[in-house]
Amino acid sequence: MGTTASQLRKDLLSEYQVVMHVFFRAHKRFSELLSKEDRNVPTPRVPMEKVLSLPELKSNPFRKRICHVFSTSDMKDGSLTFEDFLDLLSAFSDSATLEIKSHYAFRIFDFDDDGTLDGGDLEKLVNCLTGETDDTRLTTEEMRQLISNILEESDIDKDGTVNLSEFQHVISRSPDFVRSVQI
Amino acid sequence: VDSSSSRRGVVHRPCSVMLLVNPHSGKGQALSLFTGHVQRMLNEAGVPHTLVITERQNHARELVREADLSQWGALVIMSGDGLLFEVVNGLMEREDWEEAIQTPLGILPGGSGNALAASIHHYSGAQPVSSEELLISCGFLLCKGLVSRMDLASVHLGSSPSNPTRLFSFLSLAWGFVADVDVESEKYRHVGAARFTMGTLVRLASLRVYKGRLAYLPVDEVDGEEDGQSPDSPRQNTAHLTFHNSHSLLVPLDQPVPSDWVVVPEEDFVLMLAMYQSHLAKDLYAAPDSTLDDGLIHLIYVRAGISRTALLRLFLAMEKGTHLANNSPHLVYTRVRALRLEPYSSKGVITVDGEVVEYGPVQAQVHGGIARLITR
Repeated sequence: MGTTASQLRKDLLSEYQVVMHVFFRAHKRFSELLSKEDRNVPTPRVPMEKVLSLPELKSNPFRKRICHVFSTSDMKDGSLTFEDFLDLLSAFSDSATLEIKSHYAFRIFDFDDDGTLDGGDLEKLVNCLTGETDDTRLTTEEMRQLISNILEESDIDKDGTVNLSEFQHVISRSPDFVRSVQI
Repeated sequence: VDSSSSRRGVVHRPCSVMLLVNPHSGKGQALSLFTGHVQRMLNEAGVPHTLVITERQNHARELVREADLSQWGALVIMSGDGLLFEVVNGLMEREDWEEAIQTPLGILPGGSGNALAASIHHYSGAQPVSSEELLISCGFLLCKGLVSRMDLASVHLGSSPSNPTRLFSFLSLAWGFVADVDVESEKYRHVGAARFTMGTLVRLASLRVYKGRLAYLPVDEVDGEEDGQSPDSPRQNTAHLTFHNSHSLLVPLDQPVPSDWVVVPEEDFVLMLAMYQSHLAKDLYAAPDSTLDDGLIHLIYVRAGISRTALLRLFLAMEKGTHLANNSPHLVYTRVRALRLEPYSSKGVITVDGEVVEYGPVQAQVHGGIARLITR
């Protein structure tokens, strides 16, 4: 009496199991980052310093920006709820599409959060990559040359900045881009 | 009569010139560049020509494969390197390839991926110029109709080593970091010359190590052929010899490389670039010592361990061709006649003349001066 209708199909069941497994693993990792007191709070937030200690992010040059982009905190402190954390893992997973990854990469590179990548953002981007010490930084001239190259390549409407669609357009030419945006 | 002028042929007139244009090339500008500049120059110079507009990928390749070449004094490509790649391979796929590849080829930059045009312009000794000036300069060379010999490399890819895919390449073979940056921009319409900037930065963020085995046949210093100035006959004979015995330098991919090859001890790389012309892109002057028919492959590879800053500096220096002088301990430059690469990682990108090819073991050898190019 209704027993067949209530059974999940085998393939759907195994897919469900995979999703739940991923979910529980993510939750376990998230909980490990929480302090004892926070574990009993209804929607706990992991502070940014704790998130930055994750092995996947520790050596990522954009780790702070990543936290800021995925954080829903009103205080703009880069702290993450479990949902924020899931969004992060999802965007960086190998099943996320080029569109999703390029969208988030754009937000991560937009250091001043004004919706476009201008010379200032690009300079900060490059400094993240090269490191901030004097011997690893590019010279002023090298930086100028690089930023001018980027804008020449990517700034299609020549307004001096790279907007999201220009960025996605350029990024789509990189066959390796999807794999680069993974943790 | 000096040896340099005796090596030059001329385009036989009044044979007509077939001009192939990809209408989508270079932000869709190729056709308007033709009507705006080139058509006028050709008419003024009295060069009869027929315009052929390609309709899809491989159209040019098929056309050239079937064409009656006796009608054409030259085949001129007015687009990026991708179209020339199709024409060269179309010619080599013919039964009469030996005569077919003697057909003078010309290249006019059509607004994108014009590494060969940039190389030719460079060889003529002129200063680096804007795209439009490059076009006009190449147009002049075309009207003068002088022909030089050009190296080609045969590239063997092997999913089945007993029956490898063979391609002919006139520019480069690339693996690793740089294979991204020189992806042929014609595949993505309405974008101009392929540059290495935004894409480079993203990939620099997760700088990868590419594992593989690299081996090469170094240039034999003794035979003195490397400077390209040696008399005609021995070089021409060598070119034919290496072509007829196309395995004389290469052994099948499933066999170890010959004992006179050098095997690179390291197996962790950031990039490998094999160049037979000077420019990888209009602003990537990758092999400053290369000439059109020096019969050499200029091999550049970067070992893992290089910092992001150093790699960034390398690409910036490559715009001016000063990267080899930087003395970076991770960069190696050597001249070879053949090479083999066996990537270990299952995923990655290998490009030939900027075209993405099947990923897997690959080997190549140079065939000195086998093609003919309209240049100074």
